[in-house]
Amino acid sequence: MNEMVATKLSLRAFMDHSEGWGRSQGREVYQRLLRFVEENPGTTVFQISMEGVRRLDISFASETIVELARRYRRSKGFCLVDLHDPDMIENIDAAGEKKEQPLLVWHGQSASLLGLKPTGGTREAFQFSMGRTQSRASELAVQKSLSIANASMKFKQLWEQGFLLRREGTAESGGVEFVYRRIG
Amino acid sequence: MRGIVNFPAMWIDSSRLETALAGTQSPHESHDVEFVFPVGCKIMVDCAIRLLSLANQLITATHRVQLNFDEGEAGTMGYLNRMGFFDHLAPEVEVLPSRPLYSGAKLHRGNNSQLVEIARINKDARDIELPTRLTDAISHACSSRADVDQLKGAAWTIFAELIDNIFAHSETRLDGYAALQVYSGGNRLSVAVSDSGLGIMQTLRPAIRAEFPKLAKLSDVDLLVEVFRQGISRHGSDRGCGLKGCAAKAIKFNATLDVRLPNQRVLLKPARGAYEPNRAYCSEGLALIWGTHITFAFGLGT
Repeated sequence: MNEMVATKLSLRAFMDHSEGWGRSQGREVYQRLLRFVEENPGTTVFQISMEGVRRLDISFASETIVELARRYRRSKGFCLVDLHDPDMIENIDAAGEKKEQPLLVWHGQSASLLGLKPTGGTREAFQFSMGRTQSRASELAVQKSLSIANASMKFKQLWEQGFLLRREGTAESGGVEFVYRRIG
Repeated sequence: MRGIVNFPAMWIDSSRLETALAGTQSPHESHDVEFVFPVGCKIMVDCAIRLLSLANQLITATHRVQLNFDEGEAGTMGYLNRMGFFDHLAPEVEVLPSRPLYSGAKLHRGNNSQLVEIARINKDARDIELPTRLTDAISHACSSRADVDQLKGAAWTIFAELIDNIFAHSETRLDGYAALQVYSGGNRLSVAVSDSGLGIMQTLRPAIRAEFPKLAKLSDVDLLVEVFRQGISRHGSDRGCGLKGCAAKAIKFNATLDVRLPNQRVLLKPARGAYEPNRAYCSEGLALIWGTHITFAFGLGT
Protein backbone atom coordinates (compact mmCIF):
# COMPACT_ATOMS: atom_id res chain seq x y z
CA MET A 1 0.00 0.00 0.00
CA ASN A 2 1.00 3.66 -0.14
CA GLU A 3 3.48 5.09 2.28
CA MET A 4 0.87 7.76 2.84
CA VAL A 5 -1.01 7.26 6.08
CA ALA A 6 -4.58 6.15 5.61
CA THR A 7 -7.23 6.23 8.30
CA LYS A 8 -8.76 2.88 9.18
CA LEU A 9 -12.51 2.83 9.53
CA SER A 10 -14.19 -0.20 11.06
CA LEU A 11 -17.56 -0.60 9.35
CA ARG A 12 -18.83 -2.85 12.14
CA ALA A 13 -18.41 -0.01 14.66
CA PHE A 14 -20.98 2.01 12.70
CA MET A 15 -23.48 -0.84 12.40
CA ASP A 16 -26.05 -1.91 14.99
CA HIS A 17 -25.71 -5.57 14.02
CA SER A 18 -23.07 -7.78 12.42
CA GLU A 19 -25.38 -8.29 9.43
CA GLY A 20 -26.35 -5.35 7.27
CA TRP A 21 -29.26 -5.54 4.88
CA GLY A 22 -31.76 -3.24 3.26
CA ARG A 23 -31.67 0.34 2.07
CA SER A 24 -33.13 2.01 5.15
CA GLN A 25 -30.63 0.36 7.51
CA GLY A 26 -27.92 1.28 5.02
CA ARG A 27 -28.96 4.93 4.98
CA GLU A 28 -28.75 5.14 8.77
CA VAL A 29 -25.25 3.69 8.75
CA TYR A 30 -24.29 5.96 5.87
CA GLN A 31 -25.09 9.06 7.93
CA ARG A 32 -22.80 7.83 10.70
CA LEU A 33 -20.02 7.10 8.21
CA LEU A 34 -20.47 10.52 6.67
CA ARG A 35 -20.09 12.19 10.05
CA PHE A 36 -16.87 10.28 10.69
CA VAL A 37 -15.41 11.28 7.33
CA GLU A 38 -16.37 14.92 7.88
CA GLU A 39 -14.73 14.80 11.31
CA ASN A 40 -11.46 13.78 9.62
CA PRO A 41 -11.03 16.49 7.00
CA GLY A 42 -7.28 15.93 6.68
CA THR A 43 -7.64 12.30 5.66
CA THR A 44 -7.77 11.57 1.96
CA VAL A 45 -7.73 7.76 2.09
CA PHE A 46 -9.94 5.63 4.31
CA GLN A 47 -9.37 1.90 4.65
CA ILE A 48 -12.73 0.36 5.44
CA SER A 49 -12.16 -2.72 7.56
CA MET A 50 -14.79 -5.42 7.20
CA GLU A 51 -13.68 -7.28 10.30
CA GLY A 52 -16.63 -8.34 12.43
CA VAL A 53 -19.14 -7.84 9.61
CA ARG A 54 -20.81 -11.18 9.06
CA ARG A 55 -22.96 -10.43 6.06
CA LEU A 56 -23.96 -7.57 3.78
CA ASP A 57 -26.59 -7.58 1.09
CA ILE A 58 -26.32 -5.61 -2.14
CA SER A 59 -28.70 -2.81 -1.14
CA PHE A 60 -26.87 -2.18 2.15
CA ALA A 61 -23.49 -2.17 0.40
CA SER A 62 -24.88 0.24 -2.18
CA GLU A 63 -26.19 2.70 0.42
CA THR A 64 -23.05 2.63 2.61
CA ILE A 65 -19.59 1.81 1.22
CA VAL A 66 -20.37 2.43 -2.43
CA GLU A 67 -22.33 5.64 -1.83
CA LEU A 68 -19.57 7.01 0.38
CA ALA A 69 -16.90 6.31 -2.26
CA ARG A 70 -19.09 7.84 -4.94
CA ARG A 71 -19.83 10.97 -2.94
CA TYR A 72 -16.14 11.73 -2.36
CA ARG A 73 -14.89 10.59 -5.76
CA ARG A 74 -11.98 12.81 -6.94
CA SER A 75 -11.30 14.21 -3.46
CA LYS A 76 -11.05 11.22 -1.09
CA GLY A 77 -10.48 7.53 -1.67
CA PHE A 78 -12.03 4.51 0.03
CA CYS A 79 -10.69 0.99 -0.15
CA LEU A 80 -11.56 -2.25 1.65
CA VAL A 81 -9.48 -4.47 3.91
CA ASP A 82 -10.18 -7.63 5.95
CA LEU A 83 -12.69 -8.79 3.36
CA HIS A 84 -12.67 -12.52 2.60
CA ASP A 85 -16.28 -13.71 2.42
CA PRO A 86 -17.13 -14.57 -1.22
CA ASP A 87 -20.77 -13.49 -0.85
CA MET A 88 -19.86 -10.11 0.58
CA ILE A 89 -17.29 -9.62 -2.17
CA GLU A 90 -19.90 -10.50 -4.78
CA ASN A 91 -22.53 -8.22 -3.24
CA ILE A 92 -20.21 -5.21 -2.98
CA ASP A 93 -19.08 -5.88 -6.56
CA ALA A 94 -22.70 -5.88 -7.78
CA ALA A 95 -23.49 -2.66 -5.89
CA GLY A 96 -20.36 -0.94 -7.22
CA GLU A 97 -21.08 -2.01 -10.75
CA LYS A 98 -24.61 -0.61 -10.63
CA LYS A 99 -23.43 2.74 -9.26
CA GLU A 100 -20.42 2.74 -11.58
CA GLN A 101 -18.04 3.05 -8.65
CA PRO A 102 -14.76 1.12 -8.45
CA LEU A 103 -13.49 -0.16 -5.08
CA LEU A 104 -10.15 -1.79 -4.34
CA VAL A 105 -9.90 -4.66 -1.87
CA TRP A 106 -6.41 -4.96 -0.39
CA HIS A 107 -4.93 -8.27 0.70
CA GLY A 108 -1.54 -7.25 2.08
CA GLN A 109 0.42 -5.84 -0.84
CA SER A 110 -1.94 -6.99 -3.58
CA ALA A 111 -5.37 -5.70 -4.48
CA SER A 112 -8.40 -6.81 -6.44
CA LEU A 113 -10.92 -4.51 -8.03
CA LEU A 114 -14.67 -4.58 -7.35
CA GLY A 115 -17.45 -2.61 -9.03
CA LEU A 116 -16.69 -0.54 -12.11
CA LYS A 117 -13.84 -1.83 -14.25
CA PRO A 118 -11.58 0.34 -16.42
CA THR A 119 -12.43 0.57 -20.11
CA GLY A 120 -10.22 -0.97 -22.78
CA GLY A 121 -8.59 2.41 -23.32
CA THR A 122 -7.65 3.01 -19.69
CA ARG A 123 -6.96 -0.54 -18.49
CA GLU A 124 -3.25 -0.36 -19.24
CA ALA A 125 -2.90 2.98 -17.45
CA PHE A 126 -4.76 1.61 -14.44
CA GLN A 127 -2.50 -1.44 -14.26
CA PHE A 128 0.52 0.84 -14.52
CA SER A 129 -0.72 3.00 -11.65
CA MET A 130 -1.42 -0.06 -9.48
CA GLY A 131 2.22 -1.13 -9.78
CA ARG A 132 3.52 1.94 -7.91
CA THR A 133 2.35 4.20 -5.12
CA GLN A 134 2.22 7.25 -7.36
CA SER A 135 2.42 7.89 -11.09
CA ARG A 136 2.80 10.77 -13.50
CA ALA A 137 1.58 10.98 -17.07
CA SER A 138 5.14 11.54 -18.26
CA GLU A 139 6.18 8.18 -16.74
CA LEU A 140 3.28 6.33 -18.35
CA ALA A 141 4.03 8.01 -21.68
CA VAL A 142 7.64 6.81 -21.62
CA GLN A 143 6.85 3.28 -20.45
CA LYS A 144 4.01 2.67 -22.89
CA SER A 145 5.21 4.82 -25.80
CA LEU A 146 2.29 7.20 -25.62
CA SER A 147 2.13 10.94 -26.13
CA ILE A 148 2.06 12.85 -22.83
CA ALA A 149 -1.32 14.29 -23.80
CA ASN A 150 -2.73 10.79 -24.32
CA ALA A 151 -1.25 9.43 -21.09
CA SER A 152 -2.52 12.47 -19.24
CA MET A 153 -6.02 12.00 -20.64
CA LYS A 154 -6.11 8.36 -19.53
CA PHE A 155 -5.07 9.21 -15.97
CA LYS A 156 -7.57 12.06 -15.85
CA GLN A 157 -10.35 9.73 -16.90
CA LEU A 158 -9.36 7.19 -14.23
CA TRP A 159 -9.36 9.96 -11.63
CA GLU A 160 -12.78 11.22 -12.71
CA GLN A 161 -14.23 7.72 -12.53
CA GLY A 162 -12.91 7.10 -9.02
CA PHE A 163 -10.06 4.69 -9.77
CA LEU A 164 -7.28 7.07 -8.67
CA LEU A 165 -6.66 10.15 -6.56
CA ARG A 166 -4.47 13.04 -7.65
CA ARG A 167 -2.67 16.10 -6.34
CA GLU A 168 -0.75 18.87 -8.00
CA GLY A 169 3.01 18.36 -8.21
CA THR A 170 5.91 20.10 -9.88
CA ALA A 171 7.11 18.84 -13.23
CA GLU A 172 10.82 18.63 -14.09
CA SER A 173 10.24 21.62 -16.37
CA GLY A 174 9.06 23.58 -13.33
CA GLY A 175 5.40 23.65 -14.39
CA VAL A 176 2.45 22.02 -12.70
CA GLU A 177 1.99 18.30 -13.20
CA PHE A 178 -0.59 16.05 -11.62
CA VAL A 179 0.65 13.20 -9.49
CA TYR A 180 -1.82 10.29 -9.51
CA ARG A 181 -2.11 7.87 -6.64
CA ARG A 182 -3.71 4.47 -6.30
CA ILE A 183 -6.25 4.18 -3.50
CA GLY A 184 -4.98 2.15 -0.59
CA MET B 1 -71.74 -15.39 -5.57
CA ARG B 2 -70.00 -18.46 -4.07
CA GLY B 3 -66.71 -19.78 -5.41
CA ILE B 4 -65.31 -23.20 -4.51
CA VAL B 5 -61.62 -23.87 -5.08
CA ASN B 6 -61.06 -27.64 -5.13
CA PHE B 7 -57.48 -28.81 -4.75
CA PRO B 8 -56.48 -32.26 -6.07
CA ALA B 9 -55.25 -35.00 -3.71
CA MET B 10 -51.54 -34.48 -4.42
CA TRP B 11 -48.65 -32.06 -3.77
CA ILE B 12 -49.84 -28.57 -4.64
CA ASP B 13 -47.19 -26.36 -6.19
CA SER B 14 -47.72 -22.94 -7.73
CA SER B 15 -48.88 -24.36 -11.07
CA ARG B 16 -51.50 -26.57 -9.43
CA LEU B 17 -52.62 -23.65 -7.29
CA GLU B 18 -53.35 -21.71 -10.48
CA THR B 19 -55.16 -24.65 -12.04
CA ALA B 20 -57.35 -24.93 -8.95
CA LEU B 21 -58.06 -21.19 -8.88
CA ALA B 22 -58.96 -21.26 -12.58
CA GLY B 23 -61.54 -23.98 -11.96
CA THR B 24 -64.03 -21.61 -10.38
CA GLN B 25 -65.04 -17.98 -10.23
CA SER B 26 -62.11 -15.74 -9.29
CA PRO B 27 -62.04 -15.49 -5.46
CA HIS B 28 -61.85 -11.68 -5.49
CA GLU B 29 -65.09 -11.70 -7.55
CA SER B 30 -66.87 -14.06 -5.17
CA HIS B 31 -68.49 -12.87 -1.95
CA ASP B 32 -68.14 -16.28 -0.40
CA VAL B 33 -65.07 -18.44 -1.13
CA GLU B 34 -64.42 -21.99 0.01
CA PHE B 35 -61.06 -23.73 -0.40
CA VAL B 36 -61.35 -27.52 -0.19
CA PHE B 37 -58.32 -29.66 0.73
CA PRO B 38 -59.09 -33.37 0.21
CA VAL B 39 -57.36 -36.29 1.89
CA GLY B 40 -53.88 -36.67 0.36
CA CYS B 41 -53.56 -33.00 -0.60
CA LYS B 42 -50.25 -31.44 0.47
CA ILE B 43 -49.41 -27.78 0.13
CA MET B 44 -45.88 -26.71 -0.78
CA VAL B 45 -44.47 -23.78 1.13
CA ASP B 46 -44.49 -21.18 -1.67
CA CYS B 47 -48.06 -22.10 -2.42
CA ALA B 48 -48.95 -21.87 1.29
CA ILE B 49 -47.83 -18.25 1.60
CA ARG B 50 -49.63 -17.29 -1.61
CA LEU B 51 -52.80 -18.86 -0.23
CA LEU B 52 -52.29 -17.12 3.09
CA SER B 53 -51.91 -13.77 1.34
CA LEU B 54 -55.00 -14.42 -0.79
CA ALA B 55 -57.18 -15.47 2.16
CA ASN B 56 -56.18 -12.38 4.15
CA GLN B 57 -56.77 -10.15 1.12
CA LEU B 58 -60.28 -11.54 0.72
CA ILE B 59 -61.07 -10.83 4.38
CA THR B 60 -59.80 -7.26 3.97
CA ALA B 61 -62.16 -6.92 1.01
CA THR B 62 -64.99 -8.16 3.31
CA HIS B 63 -65.49 -11.52 1.60
CA ARG B 64 -66.41 -14.65 3.51
CA VAL B 65 -63.63 -17.24 3.42
CA GLN B 66 -63.71 -20.87 4.47
CA LEU B 67 -60.85 -23.39 4.46
CA ASN B 68 -62.12 -26.95 4.53
CA PHE B 69 -59.57 -29.63 5.46
CA ASP B 70 -61.11 -33.08 4.86
CA GLU B 71 -58.25 -34.85 6.65
CA GLY B 72 -58.24 -32.52 9.66
CA GLU B 73 -55.04 -32.08 11.59
CA ALA B 74 -53.76 -35.49 10.48
CA GLY B 75 -53.20 -34.08 7.00
CA THR B 76 -52.01 -30.89 5.36
CA MET B 77 -53.71 -28.81 8.03
CA GLY B 78 -51.29 -30.18 10.63
CA TYR B 79 -48.37 -29.42 8.35
CA LEU B 80 -49.62 -25.85 7.79
CA ASN B 81 -50.15 -25.47 11.54
CA ARG B 82 -46.56 -26.40 12.27
CA MET B 83 -45.42 -23.77 9.76
CA GLY B 84 -47.47 -21.14 11.59
CA PHE B 85 -50.04 -20.71 8.82
CA PHE B 86 -52.93 -20.31 11.24
CA ASP B 87 -50.98 -17.85 13.43
CA HIS B 88 -50.99 -15.44 10.49
CA LEU B 89 -54.41 -16.27 9.03
CA ALA B 90 -57.01 -13.54 9.60
CA PRO B 91 -59.30 -14.61 12.49
CA GLU B 92 -62.37 -14.03 10.31
CA VAL B 93 -61.40 -16.98 8.08
CA GLU B 94 -63.51 -20.03 8.98
CA VAL B 95 -61.54 -23.26 9.28
CA LEU B 96 -63.19 -26.69 9.04
CA PRO B 97 -63.33 -29.01 10.89
CA SER B 98 -62.04 -26.37 13.33
CA ARG B 99 -59.05 -24.13 13.90
CA PRO B 100 -56.17 -25.95 15.57
CA LEU B 101 -56.43 -25.73 19.36
CA TYR B 102 -52.81 -24.78 19.66
CA SER B 103 -50.20 -23.31 17.35
CA GLY B 104 -47.93 -26.07 16.12
CA ALA B 105 -45.30 -23.48 15.23
CA LYS B 106 -45.23 -22.08 18.76
CA LEU B 107 -45.25 -25.54 20.33
CA HIS B 108 -42.45 -26.95 18.21
CA ARG B 109 -40.42 -23.78 17.83
CA GLY B 110 -36.75 -24.67 18.02
CA ASN B 111 -37.38 -28.40 18.35
CA ASN B 112 -37.26 -29.34 14.73
CA SER B 113 -34.43 -27.66 12.91
CA GLN B 114 -35.66 -28.70 9.47
CA LEU B 115 -39.16 -27.28 9.81
CA VAL B 116 -39.35 -23.69 8.78
CA GLU B 117 -42.00 -21.34 10.00
CA ILE B 118 -43.77 -18.79 7.89
CA ALA B 119 -42.38 -15.40 8.86
CA ARG B 120 -44.37 -12.19 8.81
CA ILE B 121 -43.01 -9.14 6.99
CA ASN B 122 -44.31 -5.84 8.30
CA LYS B 123 -42.45 -2.61 7.67
CA ASP B 124 -43.63 -1.12 10.98
CA ALA B 125 -42.22 -4.06 12.93
CA ARG B 126 -38.98 -4.89 11.16
CA ASP B 127 -37.33 -8.08 12.28
CA ILE B 128 -33.63 -7.59 11.73
CA GLU B 129 -32.83 -11.27 12.31
CA LEU B 130 -35.36 -12.56 9.80
CA PRO B 131 -33.11 -13.44 6.83
CA THR B 132 -30.71 -15.23 9.19
CA ARG B 133 -33.43 -17.18 10.96
CA LEU B 134 -34.96 -18.28 7.68
CA THR B 135 -31.60 -19.29 6.30
CA ASP B 136 -30.39 -21.17 9.38
CA ALA B 137 -32.54 -24.16 8.41
CA ILE B 138 -30.21 -24.75 5.46
CA SER B 139 -27.34 -25.49 7.87
CA HIS B 140 -29.27 -28.41 9.32
CA ALA B 141 -31.03 -29.72 6.23
CA CYS B 142 -28.07 -29.46 3.86
CA SER B 143 -25.18 -29.94 6.29
CA SER B 144 -23.67 -32.79 4.24
CA ARG B 145 -23.39 -30.67 1.11
CA ALA B 146 -19.96 -29.30 0.26
CA ASP B 147 -21.56 -26.06 -0.95
CA VAL B 148 -23.72 -25.46 2.14
CA ASP B 149 -22.06 -22.11 2.89
CA GLN B 150 -22.56 -20.81 -0.65
CA LEU B 151 -26.15 -21.97 -0.51
CA LYS B 152 -26.74 -20.15 2.78
CA GLY B 153 -25.08 -17.02 1.45
CA ALA B 154 -27.25 -17.05 -1.67
CA ALA B 155 -30.50 -17.68 0.24
CA TRP B 156 -29.64 -14.99 2.83
CA THR B 157 -29.04 -12.35 0.17
CA ILE B 158 -32.22 -13.33 -1.69
CA PHE B 159 -34.31 -13.03 1.48
CA ALA B 160 -32.66 -9.76 2.51
CA GLU B 161 -33.23 -8.16 -0.89
CA LEU B 162 -36.78 -9.45 -1.40
CA ILE B 163 -37.90 -8.50 2.11
CA ASP B 164 -36.38 -5.04 1.77
CA ASN B 165 -38.12 -4.73 -1.57
CA ILE B 166 -41.44 -5.26 0.19
CA PHE B 167 -40.59 -2.56 2.74
CA ALA B 168 -39.64 -0.16 -0.01
CA HIS B 169 -42.17 -0.80 -2.74
CA SER B 170 -45.30 -2.65 -1.83
CA GLU B 171 -47.14 0.21 -0.09
CA THR B 172 -49.55 -1.99 1.78
CA ARG B 173 -50.93 -2.31 5.26
CA LEU B 174 -51.35 -6.05 4.83
CA ASP B 175 -48.49 -8.20 6.04
CA GLY B 176 -46.18 -9.96 3.63
CA TYR B 177 -44.75 -13.43 4.29
CA ALA B 178 -41.49 -15.29 3.75
CA ALA B 179 -40.71 -18.98 4.03
CA LEU B 180 -38.03 -21.49 3.14
CA GLN B 181 -38.35 -25.22 2.83
CA VAL B 182 -35.94 -27.99 2.00
CA TYR B 183 -37.56 -30.99 0.29
CA SER B 184 -36.52 -34.38 -1.00
CA GLY B 185 -33.84 -35.09 1.54
CA GLY B 186 -32.04 -31.83 0.93
CA ASN B 187 -32.15 -31.92 -2.85
CA ARG B 188 -34.75 -29.23 -3.41
CA LEU B 189 -34.92 -25.85 -1.76
CA SER B 190 -37.68 -23.25 -2.08
CA VAL B 191 -37.11 -19.65 -1.05
CA ALA B 192 -40.40 -17.76 -1.21
CA VAL B 193 -41.63 -14.26 -0.43
CA SER B 194 -45.16 -12.95 -0.86
CA ASP B 195 -46.70 -9.51 -0.43
CA SER B 196 -50.18 -8.08 -0.91
CA GLY B 197 -49.23 -4.61 -2.05
CA LEU B 198 -49.01 -3.08 -5.47
CA GLY B 199 -47.67 -5.46 -8.10
CA ILE B 200 -44.15 -4.84 -9.35
CA MET B 201 -45.50 -3.70 -12.74
CA GLN B 202 -47.85 -1.19 -11.17
CA THR B 203 -44.97 0.56 -9.45
CA LEU B 204 -42.49 0.20 -12.29
CA ARG B 205 -44.54 1.02 -15.38
CA PRO B 206 -45.30 4.70 -14.61
CA ALA B 207 -41.65 5.41 -13.77
CA ILE B 208 -39.99 3.75 -16.75
CA ARG B 209 -41.93 5.82 -19.27
CA ALA B 210 -39.84 8.79 -18.17
CA GLU B 211 -36.62 7.03 -17.10
CA PHE B 212 -36.22 4.24 -19.66
CA PRO B 213 -38.45 5.00 -22.68
CA LYS B 214 -37.06 2.06 -24.69
CA LEU B 215 -38.11 -0.39 -22.00
CA ALA B 216 -41.59 1.09 -21.82
CA LYS B 217 -42.45 -0.68 -25.08
CA LEU B 218 -41.70 -4.14 -23.66
CA SER B 219 -44.45 -6.55 -22.68
CA ASP B 220 -44.87 -7.27 -18.96
CA VAL B 221 -43.04 -10.59 -19.33
CA ASP B 222 -40.09 -9.10 -21.19
CA LEU B 223 -39.91 -6.21 -18.74
CA LEU B 224 -39.96 -8.58 -15.80
CA VAL B 225 -37.07 -10.54 -17.30
CA GLU B 226 -35.12 -7.29 -17.62
CA VAL B 227 -35.86 -6.40 -13.98
CA PHE B 228 -34.01 -9.55 -12.94
CA ARG B 229 -31.42 -9.43 -15.72
CA GLN B 230 -30.40 -5.76 -15.92
CA GLY B 231 -31.73 -4.46 -12.63
CA ILE B 232 -34.37 -1.80 -13.33
CA SER B 233 -35.81 0.42 -10.66
CA ARG B 234 -38.38 3.19 -10.59
CA HIS B 235 -35.82 5.14 -8.55
CA GLY B 236 -33.36 5.53 -11.42
CA SER B 237 -30.56 3.82 -13.26
CA ASP B 238 -28.22 3.42 -10.26
CA ARG B 239 -30.82 1.40 -8.35
CA GLY B 240 -32.40 -1.99 -8.99
CA CYS B 241 -29.30 -4.01 -8.18
CA GLY B 242 -31.14 -6.04 -5.51
CA LEU B 243 -33.37 -8.17 -7.72
CA LYS B 244 -30.62 -8.51 -10.31
CA GLY B 245 -28.28 -9.71 -7.58
CA CYS B 246 -30.86 -12.23 -6.32
CA ALA B 247 -31.11 -13.66 -9.82
CA ALA B 248 -27.33 -13.84 -10.17
CA LYS B 249 -27.06 -15.83 -6.93
CA ALA B 250 -29.92 -18.18 -7.84
CA ILE B 251 -28.63 -18.87 -11.33
CA LYS B 252 -25.42 -20.31 -9.89
CA PHE B 253 -27.58 -23.06 -8.44
CA ASN B 254 -29.62 -23.37 -11.63
CA ALA B 255 -32.73 -22.21 -9.75
CA THR B 256 -36.01 -21.51 -11.48
CA LEU B 257 -37.68 -18.22 -10.70
CA ASP B 258 -41.45 -17.99 -10.36
CA VAL B 259 -43.07 -14.55 -10.17
CA ARG B 260 -46.80 -14.19 -9.58
CA LEU B 261 -48.23 -10.77 -10.43
CA PRO B 262 -51.87 -9.76 -9.82
CA ASN B 263 -53.13 -11.50 -12.98
CA GLN B 264 -50.02 -13.10 -14.49
CA ARG B 265 -47.44 -15.66 -13.61
CA VAL B 266 -43.98 -15.86 -15.15
CA LEU B 267 -41.73 -18.88 -14.76
CA LEU B 268 -38.11 -18.28 -15.71
CA LYS B 269 -35.76 -21.16 -16.32
CA PRO B 270 -32.05 -20.42 -16.48
CA ALA B 271 -30.20 -20.95 -19.74
CA ARG B 272 -26.49 -20.31 -20.34
CA GLY B 273 -26.12 -18.75 -16.92
CA ALA B 274 -28.91 -16.20 -17.30
CA TYR B 275 -32.66 -15.70 -17.29
CA GLU B 276 -33.68 -14.92 -20.85
CA PRO B 277 -37.00 -13.94 -22.43
CA ASN B 278 -37.05 -17.05 -24.67
CA ARG B 279 -36.98 -19.24 -21.56
CA ALA B 280 -39.83 -17.40 -19.85
CA TYR B 281 -43.14 -19.20 -19.54
CA CYS B 282 -46.04 -16.89 -18.99
CA SER B 283 -49.64 -17.44 -17.93
CA GLU B 284 -51.99 -14.49 -18.29
CA GLY B 285 -55.56 -13.71 -17.30
CA LEU B 286 -55.19 -15.50 -13.96
CA ALA B 287 -57.43 -15.09 -10.93
CA LEU B 288 -56.62 -11.84 -9.14
CA ILE B 289 -54.16 -12.05 -6.24
CA TRP B 290 -52.90 -8.64 -5.11
CA GLY B 291 -49.20 -8.03 -4.82
CA THR B 292 -46.03 -9.77 -5.94
CA HIS B 293 -45.14 -13.33 -5.02
CA ILE B 294 -41.66 -14.60 -5.79
CA THR B 295 -40.20 -18.09 -5.44
CA PHE B 296 -36.71 -19.27 -6.23
CA ALA B 297 -36.66 -23.08 -6.51
CA PHE B 298 -33.20 -24.57 -6.25
CA GLY B 299 -32.87 -28.04 -7.72
CA LEU B 300 -29.72 -29.04 -5.89
CA GLY B 301 -29.11 -32.51 -7.23
CA THR B 302 -27.02 -34.82 -5.10
